[in-house]
Amino acid sequence: MMWSNTFPQIAESTLRTLSRAIDKGYLTFSREYGAAIEAFFEPLLYFLIGFERVLLGSPWWVIIGTIGLISYAASRSWKLVLGVVLALCLIGVFGMWENTMRTMAMILVCTLLSILIGIPIGIFMSRSGRGQKIILPILDVMQTMPSFVYLIPVVMLLGIGRVPGLIAVVIYAIPPVIRLTNLGIRLVEKDALEAAEAFGASRLQKLLKVQLPLALPTIMAGINQTIMMALAMVVIASMIGVRGLGQPVLQAVTNQYFALGLFNGTAVVVLAIIFDRVTQRFGLRLQKHREGAR
Amino acid sequence: MKITKPSYIVAIAFALGVLGSTAAQAACGKVTIAEMNWASAQAAARVDAFILKHGYGCASETVPGDTMPTAVSMTEKGRPDIAPELWLNNIKEPIDKAIKEKRLVIVGDVLQNADKNAGEGWWVPRYMLEKTPELTTIEGVKKHASLFKDPEDPGKGRLLGCPAGWACQISTQNLYDAFAMKDAGFNLVDPGSGAALAGAIAKAYNRGEGILTYYWAPTSLLSKLDMVRVDMGPHDKNAFEKCIGIADCANPKPNSFPVSEIKTVVATKFANTNPAPMEYLKSRVWTPEAFGAVLTYMEKEQANGQAAAVWFLKNHEKTWSEWVPANIAAKVKAAL
Repeated sequence: MMWSNTFPQIAESTLRTLSRAIDKGYLTFSREYGAAIEAFFEPLLYFLIGFERVLLGSPWWVIIGTIGLISYAASRSWKLVLGVVLALCLIGVFGMWENTMRTMAMILVCTLLSILIGIPIGIFMSRSGRGQKIILPILDVMQTMPSFVYLIPVVMLLGIGRVPGLIAVVIYAIPPVIRLTNLGIRLVEKDALEAAEAFGASRLQKLLKVQLPLALPTIMAGINQTIMMALAMVVIASMIGVRGLGQPVLQAVTNQYFALGLFNGTAVVVLAIIFDRVTQRFGLRLQKHREGAR
Repeated sequence: MKITKPSYIVAIAFALGVLGSTAAQAACGKVTIAEMNWASAQAAARVDAFILKHGYGCASETVPGDTMPTAVSMTEKGRPDIAPELWLNNIKEPIDKAIKEKRLVIVGDVLQNADKNAGEGWWVPRYMLEKTPELTTIEGVKKHASLFKDPEDPGKGRLLGCPAGWACQISTQNLYDAFAMKDAGFNLVDPGSGAALAGAIAKAYNRGEGILTYYWAPTSLLSKLDMVRVDMGPHDKNAFEKCIGIADCANPKPNSFPVSEIKTVVATKFANTNPAPMEYLKSRVWTPEAFGAVLTYMEKEQANGQAAAVWFLKNHEKTWSEWVPANIAAKVKAAL
């Protein structure tokens, strides 16, 4: 064979030895530290289970009422509240209440975690050019790496269920919040910062009182995207045993139950629309406030 | 256009004239072989594809498949032509119907003595039996829910079931009800996908944790891990087909998984037009030793179906040369 026709690749046996060595290394790692890592994530698991129990245990009208109130507080729009309540009622009527609550618990905790981890990283990135250079490619990898590539190693480490699902969702959904926090702070006008400096504001004061408030609409857009991406991962997460709307979708796909798939898929979309509209309206209101103040 | 594909290809070859030798090769035409997403079926499909291609001159290719979608597609569209390893237990009804309507033909077994060497079940690792020997039976398992701790619901045991949408999900659910596993303190947990199920089993086994799980043999996973099938009592075929295997089984009674019917199934059109390849498929019955060797090779070398097939054909000539006439065997050997 001409060397120019076939790529001069590593010998197959070497390649196999290499991948076997990596696998073996990972296996030893998971045997050594698996239990410890599992214990580390245990509080998170209990929080997730507890939150889900609250959502599942409360009467449905309390949940709908609370969500309605939250949407009103965020949007000040009765039309939106009416739409949200109607959509949730429809989900309930079609018998998907329980799974929707499970998915909602998962998504909310994932979003919360993403915000808690993502915003500090975003702030760090906005202050350090080198940090940004290192973190951006990592975010690209997180968004493009096919999920199953890291899902199964996570299962080998932590078993199946909510925590590995949560990790998978957060890995996929956290980049927008980081990116847009970084962008939002970087876009804050120099004049505003100079004015703050003239008043003798410390770095922390500048961050908390000037940069973050002015970047808030952009950060909200990032949170909104994070929620959307978390919802997009619902079906993938159910492939490692996360209960919720993803499971019936999977079942429908493998059995060609079109209606079942459509109902549950629609429920995911409805959840997405509710989250999207509420957070967007909230972001818009933040912006309006800012323009009014000028 | 009522021309069937093989004759169509022959006609083209004829028209071209120069392709005399290829015309004989193309006699069997394009053949698609379903390559299921588990190891044994992948190796079986690739071996069939290789022998049909180089021995019988078929333009064979493998297509990815899964039990239910493949069976549906074969019934409705006649494609893929061959499913070398189809597990009939869970799709009994549609397959019986398709055979009655002459859309599908069952060629024969894939594995010798399938009843002893293959099948579904609930499994526990052998290391658990050393401490608690009574785990070999379902009654013994039920007494020890605490050994199979469910991490998401402490205090309960966990039976790792069959992934959502797989046909075995129904039978596992019904058997879970029939044995009153819930009262014994067990949760039935859906692993979500085959990959996650295998990953969860491997995780528990590697750490020496307790696990009770649905799985099936022959698989590379179970040829690697030393697991024991829990004895669930005698199998009542009638009750299983009438109730346990059906989604709305009102009053499931204890039963055990049926002896697995793992068959080679072909679309009728292929069966009628290709007598010689059909002869091969009929005589191609794997011995458990040969199958086990291939699965172990795949696991050890991380080989895919194609690599395993080539390895098998190179190293186990004695086994496969009995499946084909001598002249075909020579052709296959020449192609290796």
